[in-house]
Amino acid sequence: MIEQLKIDFDKIVGSLELSNENIESRKKNFNQFIESGFPNKRIEDWKFSDLNQIISSNIKNLHFHSDLELSKIDETIFIDKFAHNKIVFLNGIISNIDFNQEDETKVLLTRDLNQNENINEVNPLVSLNNALTASYIRITVKENYSLNRPVIIYNITTKDLKSTALNLKTDIVLEKNSSLKVINLFDDNSENNFINIVQNFDIAQDAILKNYKIDHKINSNIKYCYNNINLKKNSISENFIFSMGSKFIKNEINCNLNDEYSSAFINGILNLTNSQHHEIKTNINHLAENTKSYQLIKSVLNDNAKGIYQGKIYVDSKAQKTNGYQLSKALLLNENTEFDGKPELEIYADDVKCSHGATSGNLDEDAIFYLMSRGLSHQQSKELLINGFLLDAVEKITDIEIKDLIKNMIGITE
Amino acid sequence: MLQIKNLKAQIDNKEILKGLNLEINPGEVHAIMGPNGSGKSTLSNVLSGKKGYSVSGDVRYLNENLLDLEIEERAHKGIFLAFQYPLEIPGVNTNIFLKTSLNAIKKAKGEKELDAIEFLKLVKQKASELKFDEKILSRQLNVGFSGGEKKKNEILQMSILNPKLSILDETDSGLDIDALKVVSEGVNALRSKESSFLIITHYQRLLEYIKPDFVHVLINGQIVKSGGSELALELESKGYESLS
Repeated sequence: MIEQLKIDFDKIVGSLELSNENIESRKKNFNQFIESGFPNKRIEDWKFSDLNQIISSNIKNLHFHSDLELSKIDETIFIDKFAHNKIVFLNGIISNIDFNQEDETKVLLTRDLNQNENINEVNPLVSLNNALTASYIRITVKENYSLNRPVIIYNITTKDLKSTALNLKTDIVLEKNSSLKVINLFDDNSENNFINIVQNFDIAQDAILKNYKIDHKINSNIKYCYNNINLKKNSISENFIFSMGSKFIKNEINCNLNDEYSSAFINGILNLTNSQHHEIKTNINHLAENTKSYQLIKSVLNDNAKGIYQGKIYVDSKAQKTNGYQLSKALLLNENTEFDGKPELEIYADDVKCSHGATSGNLDEDAIFYLMSRGLSHQQSKELLINGFLLDAVEKITDIEIKDLIKNMIGITE
Repeated sequence: MLQIKNLKAQIDNKEILKGLNLEINPGEVHAIMGPNGSGKSTLSNVLSGKKGYSVSGDVRYLNENLLDLEIEERAHKGIFLAFQYPLEIPGVNTNIFLKTSLNAIKKAKGEKELDAIEFLKLVKQKASELKFDEKILSRQLNVGFSGGEKKKNEILQMSILNPKLSILDETDSGLDIDALKVVSEGVNALRSKESSFLIITHYQRLLEYIKPDFVHVLINGQIVKSGGSELALELESKGYESLS
């Protein structure tokens, strides 16, 4: 594998117009990855998801480079329920950008890889991404501007994808008092690929980010998605993860509440069947006074599926008056399913309010009896109860268009 | 309509019903009274098909073997159980539940399902008859409902589904006098030549408002005495002790 990676590295770096500084940084990151390799279960953060094993048993020849050959975009996959700005990653390469809903002096877009500021030494996968990213976009929203429409980042793979692995990278910068809604939507048509996504968010004072991830189309790909979020004074980051499509996906969010009155919301749904294996891992770092975080994760597991939620709340000694909350509820519909929850609270301040909870269990048989006694079939009763179970997580989405879109995808009717 | 012969039911190897006999004809209202633990709720659960009991005996309902029918089939054929403790179902909107239920039953009967507008019209009318605040129907099913609201919601469901055989399991428990009147009026409005009722209660109070044709005393899994509505008064003054 290492030999192939070295060849891919040289090809990718050779094909791009990069500054010497950028190449040096990539080399450093590449070596960091080579030293540690893919994370395995001996690493605490990966104890429930042995990525090294998952990749080696699903992908035969891991390679990251293929000569560019753009496929045509299937436009039917675009969301038609509401107008939006588009960025399309097609097989890992940005193939389409459409921001005609916005004031172009207020939303700056750059694809210059040399301007990308890497987040370094986080973990081997982020290093790998730093080393091999070939296509990149940064969105900067200028001070006091709120986008008229949401931005949908389409992550599309097609059947003719030649490489077996992709690295995608996005940076989003919100200047003071600006706001942005962004949806990452996956549409996978390729099989057995590894997709490694790094997104960095810098949110300035009074700015609002709404960040939604939708992985709903059943596919055999293996994904890692790392979000790094930095929040300044009085800013808000609302995140929602809708996780039901990939064979494996680990969504990791690292969120730094750097200044007073900043707040972070991370809510999500794992809705899994067959042998799907999905994980949500969060690190919320309360680094200043009066910061707030809230997390609600609902999971429904069927067949042999495995779901994991590792939620960490760190409260610095400076971060008095912190308010941190996390709750995980899982429905295990079959005895072959597995849910692993690991809440972690690490608190160094004494005047804080932090709580966590976790439950898991099957559907309530008495509730099924109640619904069936009103003429509903067993299947109808089950669906109604499952949708009811998921509803309160979906209701946390504050954008109505996106909430309705996700409700539709789950099949929740009202 | 319903003929029960030698009905026995046990749960966790404990026999609860020990050979119960009862016949209910169309248009009749039967009350079953009995002390705690006599098997009243088991009877209502077994008749509506709740799982977990091992049941023997012969139960004919509209000339079919009731015990062969699934829970929802019994509902489709007109059996309705008003629960003693209606369940709270988070995330399920009451109106949507009612519409799903009504249309499931209509579909099974081969009748035309109601669209949203027809349904709302029906539900409005029934809710106002029961002095039931419609706003409650846009809330999650029974979640945060008061005890009285839950019981009224059961009666509302009953009046919308218009069953042939309604089983009321201690519908009076936890109701204040005003709610008891409203619930009773709801039941009385549904009385007809075709529809029958089996009313399970501890107290005679409910029977002042819903006058039964027959009263049965259930003790230790068997009906030990049957009579007219005057039997309820007798029980109220003498207690169950005199019969056991």
